Amino acid sequence: MLMTSGPWVWVAALLTLAIYSFLYKDNPFYKVAEYIFVGISAGYWAIFLWWNYAYPNLFEPLGKGKYMNIIPVVLGLMMFTQLFRRTAWLVRFPLTFVLGVSLGLQIVAAVEGDMVPQLRGTFSPFTPGALFGTYDFWTSVGYIALLVGVLTTLIYFFFSKEHKGILGVGARIGIYFLMIAFGASFGYTVMARISLLFGRLHFLFVDWMHVIK
Amino acid sequence: MSVIEKLSKLDRRYVFLAVAIAVSLPMFFPLGLPVEVTAPVKQLYDVIEELPERSVVLISIDYDPSGAPELQPATLAILRHCFKRNLRVLVLGMWAPGVPLGMKALDEVAVKEFNKKYGVDYVNFGYRPGGAIFLVNLGRDVHDVCRTDVYGTPVDELPMMRDVHSAKDIALVVTMSMGVPGSDQWIFYYQARYRGKLATAQTAIGAPRYYPYLQTGQLVGLIGGMKGAAEYERLVKTRGFASIGMDSQSAAHMLIIGLVVLGNFIFWMEKRKK
Repeated sequence: MLMTSGPWVWVAALLTLAIYSFLYKDNPFYKVAEYIFVGISAGYWAIFLWWNYAYPNLFEPLGKGKYMNIIPVVLGLMMFTQLFRRTAWLVRFPLTFVLGVSLGLQIVAAVEGDMVPQLRGTFSPFTPGALFGTYDFWTSVGYIALLVGVLTTLIYFFFSKEHKGILGVGARIGIYFLMIAFGASFGYTVMARISLLFGRLHFLFVDWMHVIK
Repeated sequence: MSVIEKLSKLDRRYVFLAVAIAVSLPMFFPLGLPVEVTAPVKQLYDVIEELPERSVVLISIDYDPSGAPELQPATLAILRHCFKRNLRVLVLGMWAPGVPLGMKALDEVAVKEFNKKYGVDYVNFGYRPGGAIFLVNLGRDVHDVCRTDVYGTPVDELPMMRDVHSAKDIALVVTMSMGVPGSDQWIFYYQARYRGKLATAQTAIGAPRYYPYLQTGQLVGLIGGMKGAAEYERLVKTRGFASIGMDSQSAAHMLIIGLVVLGNFIFWMEKRKK
């Protein structure tokens, strides 16, 4: 082994091994690595919030005489008024502001970006002549499966009527579609985890140990 | 104790060890398994291939080091493709820890491989806070939300940015995303408003969620996890990190499939016994 890597590579490698040592059993090396991670994260995010939010949006503008920027600070501080019974009602003002902005942004986004395009995507292949005319056989089959999947899954989540008869059959088919979706998600999750393990092992073998070129 | 009983009580640490060996061995003894290119990846490749020269491609680095094994290879492959096609690249990111990863990728591809000129062929605006609100404003006025680049240079002093003002000047956006803010925000707050071409590279965990957006045309391409990155590497004719990793992936997947079958067989045998 040619372990000639720089000091930071050594630090990263030893911390990686310390974290993985937990797979054997809990131990002091793992604890040390865990505490270092938590400490560094806290420090990192404190600095991050200061330089990316507090300083450029508040202290820098205030220094330049832009006193309007004090309004969000006041609204933010009003969030704490709910800690005291007599002033708790004041929290409605910042919450109203947050709700208003969030709703304004999200309603438009949900309708324009999600609901309408998804509905269009599900039903548009069923315009007259499109199915088996415009698309090839397997694409058409795919669109039919998509529509059946959407409808039966919706039926499965329809709880206002007992799942019996035609509704029961639909819900049963919906479960199969859900299971296939969960299976696909699980498969992708396994792939993601293996990728992360590969990334760490590649780092250990290539960048730290230099046993692979 | 029968074999079945022994296996049912097997210490799970043997499974961890087996997975580690399955991932490690192909790194020393490559299997050279083929990587087939799937349609969502090819679609993105074709979109970049068809862009006119000097078009602007925006790459959003929306991941941190924990997503790097899956997304960094895709970033490198897409950058290679863009510079090979003589496109201009605008890099920014909504994840602060992704900034060094973006800089590293640009240094590796733009500087060392293609000798591209900063400010003319590519720019890097680094971390951009604000999520959804940032994206809404980005499509309206790039100069307003990106006043200085990652080095503190005013946007007006960057030659490349003279004709890049709003969403209509950006030919394609590719978000390399592992969470929030990421693909969701780009789809809902940018693509839905400005109708620009948008593609995404996702960590494998997130990828299945974005296939519906591909079907509706809201996404023009999708790279899913390391496998997707390996496919893109194949399309741009490089054998990078993701391609090397696919042998390990396949070996680990075979092992896991075997373990799932074995686990079910043991469960079935025990149930039969009772």
